Amino acid sequence: MNFEAVIGLEIHVEMKTKSKMFSAGPISFGATPNTNCVPMDLGMPGTMPRVNKQAVINAIRVSNALHMTIDHDLWFDRKNYFYTDLPKGYQITQQDRPIGSDGYLEIEVNGKTKRCEIERLHMEEDTCMQHHFSDYTLIDYNRAGIPLVEIVSCPVLRSGEEARKYVEKIRDIVTFANVSDGKMEEGSLRCDVNVSIRPYGTTKLGTKVEVKNLNSLQHIENAIDFEVKRQSELLLLGKPIQQETRRYDEAKKETILMRIKTDAVDYKYFTEPNICPIHLSDSFVDDAIKTCPELYDEKLARFLNEYKLNEVDAKILLSNVDYADYFDKGATFTGNFQNLANFFISNVLGYLNKNNIDIKNFKVESKHIAELVDLLKDKKINSSQGIEIFNKMVQTNESPIKLQKAMGATLIGDEETIRNLVDEVIKANPSIPADFKAGTTRVQGFVMGQIMKKTGGKIDPGVANKIIVEELKK
Amino acid sequence: MSNYLDLSIKEIHSALLKGETTPLELTKEAIKRAKANKDNAFECLCEEKALLKAEELSKVKVPEDKIMFGIPYVAKDNFSTKGIETTGGSDILKGYIPLFNATVINLLEENGAILIGKATLDELAMGGTGTTGHKGITFNPYDKTHTRLIGGSSCGSAVAVSDAIVPFALGSDTGDSVRKPASNAGLVGYKPTWGQISRFGLFPFAPSLDHVAYFTRSVEDAALMFNVLSKHDENDSTSSFKTRLDDYSKLDGNLKGKKFVVLKEVYDSITDKVIKDKFDLLLNKIKEGGSTVDFVEFGKKLLMAIYPSYIVISSAEATSNNANLDGIKFGPFYKGNTYQDVMMQARTKGFSPLIKRRFVIGSYSLMSENQEEVFKRAQKVRHLIVDRAKELYKKYDSIICPASPSIAPLVKGASNQLNDTYLIADNWLAIGNFGGFPSITIPLGFEDDMPFGVNITSDAFKDFEVFNEAFAMENILGYRDLSVLNFKDKEGK
Repeated sequence: MNFEAVIGLEIHVEMKTKSKMFSAGPISFGATPNTNCVPMDLGMPGTMPRVNKQAVINAIRVSNALHMTIDHDLWFDRKNYFYTDLPKGYQITQQDRPIGSDGYLEIEVNGKTKRCEIERLHMEEDTCMQHHFSDYTLIDYNRAGIPLVEIVSCPVLRSGEEARKYVEKIRDIVTFANVSDGKMEEGSLRCDVNVSIRPYGTTKLGTKVEVKNLNSLQHIENAIDFEVKRQSELLLLGKPIQQETRRYDEAKKETILMRIKTDAVDYKYFTEPNICPIHLSDSFVDDAIKTCPELYDEKLARFLNEYKLNEVDAKILLSNVDYADYFDKGATFTGNFQNLANFFISNVLGYLNKNNIDIKNFKVESKHIAELVDLLKDKKINSSQGIEIFNKMVQTNESPIKLQKAMGATLIGDEETIRNLVDEVIKANPSIPADFKAGTTRVQGFVMGQIMKKTGGKIDPGVANKIIVEELKK
Repeated sequence: MSNYLDLSIKEIHSALLKGETTPLELTKEAIKRAKANKDNAFECLCEEKALLKAEELSKVKVPEDKIMFGIPYVAKDNFSTKGIETTGGSDILKGYIPLFNATVINLLEENGAILIGKATLDELAMGGTGTTGHKGITFNPYDKTHTRLIGGSSCGSAVAVSDAIVPFALGSDTGDSVRKPASNAGLVGYKPTWGQISRFGLFPFAPSLDHVAYFTRSVEDAALMFNVLSKHDENDSTSSFKTRLDDYSKLDGNLKGKKFVVLKEVYDSITDKVIKDKFDLLLNKIKEGGSTVDFVEFGKKLLMAIYPSYIVISSAEATSNNANLDGIKFGPFYKGNTYQDVMMQARTKGFSPLIKRRFVIGSYSLMSENQEEVFKRAQKVRHLIVDRAKELYKKYDSIICPASPSIAPLVKGASNQLNDTYLIADNWLAIGNFGGFPSITIPLGFEDDMPFGVNITSDAFKDFEVFNEAFAMENILGYRDLSVLNFKDKEGK
């Protein structure tokens, strides 16, 4: 019997706003534990929530990118439960009226476009970070109150691959909109997956299994594929599927039972009484959308149409919004876009990857890379000189023009000089013209090699080639 | 010296201006009286801090525009006070020293008022008797035999003003927690329009019903204090942006053309003849002053529903607001093997049975299978009650009724909580909390040397009108600057 997988995703995106969702507590990742919190973040009596405007703007932007209906009235609710990571004993969320509802996004699967419906997007606050030890637990309140958007898909995904692509798309949206770092490995984008299976052609949903702790795109795909296989095997053996929560074990590449779900917790939701409903004017919502940083799809279109880059390179540049930003900045200093892309991909990214450096910490200005690309393009230097200069730039942070001068790295492009050099080589090797006439093209390369040797590689190869052919034909 | 602390803020201010007394003298005397008080009014005194500040203020010239400058006061112990232990009258917060001041505490501080102590209250402000705080029963200073209550939950604050320790005190009012004790204590008790005074730093009981409120000894003082405290506060998202334009120092007490409405069911359910006669007398005087008074039925069903819906809504909000008290971040910590263990111990030992009862009611009404039938129904009832009041406000300026059906109840008195007198006349003040309406209680008279009050409640944002009407009635009744020290002189009026 063949089964169809029914997959729904809940994605939590941590926003990179300056302060928290409902307090003035600062946000900075990697800060010393319990230094980024104010009384509200510890749930101290008498503190009151204040809605973070930037977080609302962010939520509007993501909702818009996901083609959602945006609620112009903000309502917040309390989700009540007791846990050590919940300082107030309740979380402020949007249960009844999420800011975004009924949206979709499109993914490409097997060359076809698939539309994935999205149920809702709402704002809420993050919980504390807990560090469990053998007989005690430490709590870090820095994370308490960081703004989150939760995006809940409809159960429309059918495979691990589709789920991975869906999450990838969401990650692109939130990173390009500058809403979040979108780093799954650091927990700024967290994904819970619900998987059930059913025989093809049936509509009744099977028992749902939740998989948590998925901290990379590949894990999402693997976990789902494993889960579909596991559930299919159970059903084929006539065994029931339990409603349970599982986690993905990276080493074993399988999902492992965490707990069996008993009756759902009753969160006793009710409207947050300390925040009056906030009406968002049309102009506020429109402005938030209008001023949204360029999203992936628009940027890709621009890179293809305006910079005329080839698609492979454009996609490499867009694989990280910071690459794209770096490239965009560099492109304002040169017209040689494809050359810039080539140099960036092979040299800059090569250097960053080799040395494991984040582009945010890369000191060389994009302007200087653009200048270097122009020097190469204008044949002022050759490629090996280019690399030499680049290596110096990385160390000294100097402009390539200055370095070029200091190194005396210029290309000889003067036809007369080159012609004299070529003639010298031919004179020294009298068999050359005859070999050339006999059709041995190798000699062309030989001459080039010789003149390069004489000048320490400072010959413009384009000009030299033309002259070599002319001289040999004489 | 004893001639100052039983006066009004305004009178003390002018004595300070004239140099007849100093902030230090006043503060020393207030602390002395606080220590002498035997009614269990204080959670703690902040003697050192208060004297330090008083000394500092005594060195400078008294500013004419700061009416509260150098005047000692008391705050209910559910206002967050930086560096001063604040327990909300509950063991669960024993040893909790806040890191920040409530906005109203800051405003008073900026205006030169001197906090001398934190007052007792019903545990976490839940209760109306002044008997449930962790320090036990707070007594009524009008009854030196300690047989009568002052009422709550702002019991200690009411004692501090009526016993002439300070001329004003901060309280909070979720059902009638300032306006009812004001009636029992012969004081002015004022609850503003919801959102007019910031709640930031007030320990929440039920935010949709909670109000910062206060006791004074005159209507004018209440209005002057409103001037100081009523400011938009960005820390309180429910704080109103409405500009406060009226000049609260210029009350004229003009009753001409005012339309008052008496809730017939409240009036009818009161059996105490002294209270009723005094109230009738007041109504006649108001009419002589050019006002009209109509008796109108509010709707008995609606009035009977106030108490149950109040209990449901306030308990539901309370169970959530107090979920932060889990023994982990502040308050006594008890070791346990699991987090549930730690929390259960803290909450089992920290809360009294009465609080637990409220939490059970609150949780029950919020459970998904009950929410529609209990919590949401109570909210609907609340709306119906507010709508009915708004309907009355279309025709009338204010509701006027006795604030309480009796003088302060006996400590050992058993009240039948299901008769009309209790359900209607003892609970109608919560209409003011349901609608966020401005509401004031002022002294109406005495019975067996015990005071009782009358209440005026008006439509939202009519704070100035409420003050003005109350000011007129205060002039008629003559009970200004009442305290246990002087009531005998004024009682006969």
